[in-house]
Amino acid sequence: MFYPTAGQFKTSYQADYALFPVRQDAFLLGVIALFAFVVFPLTASEFTFRALLTPVLIYSLAALGLNILTGYAGQLSLGTGAFMGVGAYACYKLVSIFPEMNIVVAIALSGFFSATIGVIFGLPSLRIKGFYLAIATLAAQFFLVWLFQKWGWLYNYNASGAIQVPNIALFGVTVAGPRATAIAQYYFVLCTVCVITVFAINITRGRIGRMWKAVRDMDIAAELVGINLMRAKLMAFFVSSYIVGIAGALFVFLWRGAAEANLFDIPLSFRVLFIAIIGGLGSVLGNYLGAILIVALPVIISTVPKALGLPIDAATAEHLNVMIIGALIITFLIVEPHGLARFWAIIREKLILWPFPH
Amino acid sequence: MNPRPDPNHLRVSDDGIAKGGVLLDVRNVSLAFGGVKAITDISLNVMKGEIRAIIGPNGAGKTSMLNVINGFYTPQLGTIVFRGKERRSMKPHQAVGQGIARTFQNVALFKGMSTLDNIMAGRSVMMKRHIGWQMLWHGPALREEIEHREKVEEIIDFLEIQHIRRTPVGKLPYGLQKRVELGRALAMEPTLLLLDEPMAGMNLEEKEDMSRFIIDVNQQRGTTIALIEHDMGVVMDLSDRVVVLDYGKKIADGPPDEVKNNQDVIDAYLGVPH
Repeated sequence: MFYPTAGQFKTSYQADYALFPVRQDAFLLGVIALFAFVVFPLTASEFTFRALLTPVLIYSLAALGLNILTGYAGQLSLGTGAFMGVGAYACYKLVSIFPEMNIVVAIALSGFFSATIGVIFGLPSLRIKGFYLAIATLAAQFFLVWLFQKWGWLYNYNASGAIQVPNIALFGVTVAGPRATAIAQYYFVLCTVCVITVFAINITRGRIGRMWKAVRDMDIAAELVGINLMRAKLMAFFVSSYIVGIAGALFVFLWRGAAEANLFDIPLSFRVLFIAIIGGLGSVLGNYLGAILIVALPVIISTVPKALGLPIDAATAEHLNVMIIGALIITFLIVEPHGLARFWAIIREKLILWPFPH
Repeated sequence: MNPRPDPNHLRVSDDGIAKGGVLLDVRNVSLAFGGVKAITDISLNVMKGEIRAIIGPNGAGKTSMLNVINGFYTPQLGTIVFRGKERRSMKPHQAVGQGIARTFQNVALFKGMSTLDNIMAGRSVMMKRHIGWQMLWHGPALREEIEHREKVEEIIDFLEIQHIRRTPVGKLPYGLQKRVELGRALAMEPTLLLLDEPMAGMNLEEKEDMSRFIIDVNQQRGTTIALIEHDMGVVMDLSDRVVVLDYGKKIADGPPDEVKNNQDVIDAYLGVPH
């Protein structure tokens, strides 16, 4: 009733390959895009941008990068945080060495640095799988964070050891640095995330995506249908680390404004991994749903007692928050182990058949 | 409903070898895992256009033989000549490039992918567009995708699996999974198709269907087939020539009728007091 797909016939393969073969999906996305591009910017406060919208988008992007590696190509990685760090530090160095470089170019280039590092730390994947590979990527985590602290050149020998984002303008609007407005940053992040998401969807549904999924589902059979395992795995590491690196650059330049090395330590890796797992491995949509649950929900819940005028002190609210989020995560994983994306897929399937399920 | 594919149009694997010429020649191959001899000094050949059966009791070395042919194992002794080219060792994905495709005894499909994607994955070697075009999903990448999709849809029509196109293969019943696996092998447009027990675990009706598909693949698409099978009725009816292995040695080779009456073969299957 809400989702009638009957009567939407495809008469060519081209039409079948449209981004949204079902009209209602396109409509739904249109509504979301309307909110993201028009309604939120008109209504949201500075706090909402800084605490909710921008971080959700950036974390979704990082999770998307990890999901390509873990969800599509089946290579478990715990080095996401460090690869984000590589993107951030590379972008910082690019901007300080070439101050007149366009910020878009700097961010796009910094992805290549993290991609290269990702491929290097992905080399063990040619020999080992699963949890053992995860441990090998953990080496990246420890080594790179150590490098960020010890190699002074990376943070321009600052006394504080942290990187500070300078004021950077794009077409006359300051998008990064202390003088940037939250709304400009939000738009910048939103556009970047949209473009990369479309690219990621296209890659994952085409030849390369099938290659990755084949490696994930059964690597021996993949080899016997003519897939070069080495190339497929390293390409997954490259693309994944590229996206993760971009997310890292956005993380520091468009959101935090400053960063120390230990920001990119294991907790960040785990946070991104949780988003990808709870959102749903092997799906693009899942990253957004996961990021909303893990990043946005705590912020929303912590504002509830204040809004209701309940006399709870900050520490108690924080503890309650952790408990509620933990319970929600467990509930979701029990109800649907394949993540929120599958949850939505089931709802959608039911809606298509409703009200005549037989 | 699409029209029945034109057999001449589908005959893709033309390589200059005439029908009846030697396509694959396995010469004096021996394979051992440590002290275990899987294959001892076996020679056999496969003619272009025939259906060749490899039979034998359990543990006779049949699957090892297929693994040697498609490059998964490297034999310690002997050579393999395929389409006139000699080789000792190669990577499996290179064997695919030469035109050898196979199916597995226990279905080895990509479980999380749909039927369509599984068969499309069979064409990965033939698809070339790089990631730059892939991410735009326009121009050459889309054209290539559609071009290969048309070929895949021909195979889907051929195997009559249109209704499960979008179903993840993990959810399909066993008989259909076997059929999808055959489809994936066909998508590689092989010259030589290796089938490892295509009828294992099937009921009579599914066996009849599968036999029909194997004959059709052989006749309409001109694909040479080497198959391992335990159902003797099927083997004797389908194949042009049969080779019998026992304990890693070749004990008989010839047309089905001849092999059926060979005393060594009867002994190997029924067992004789030593």
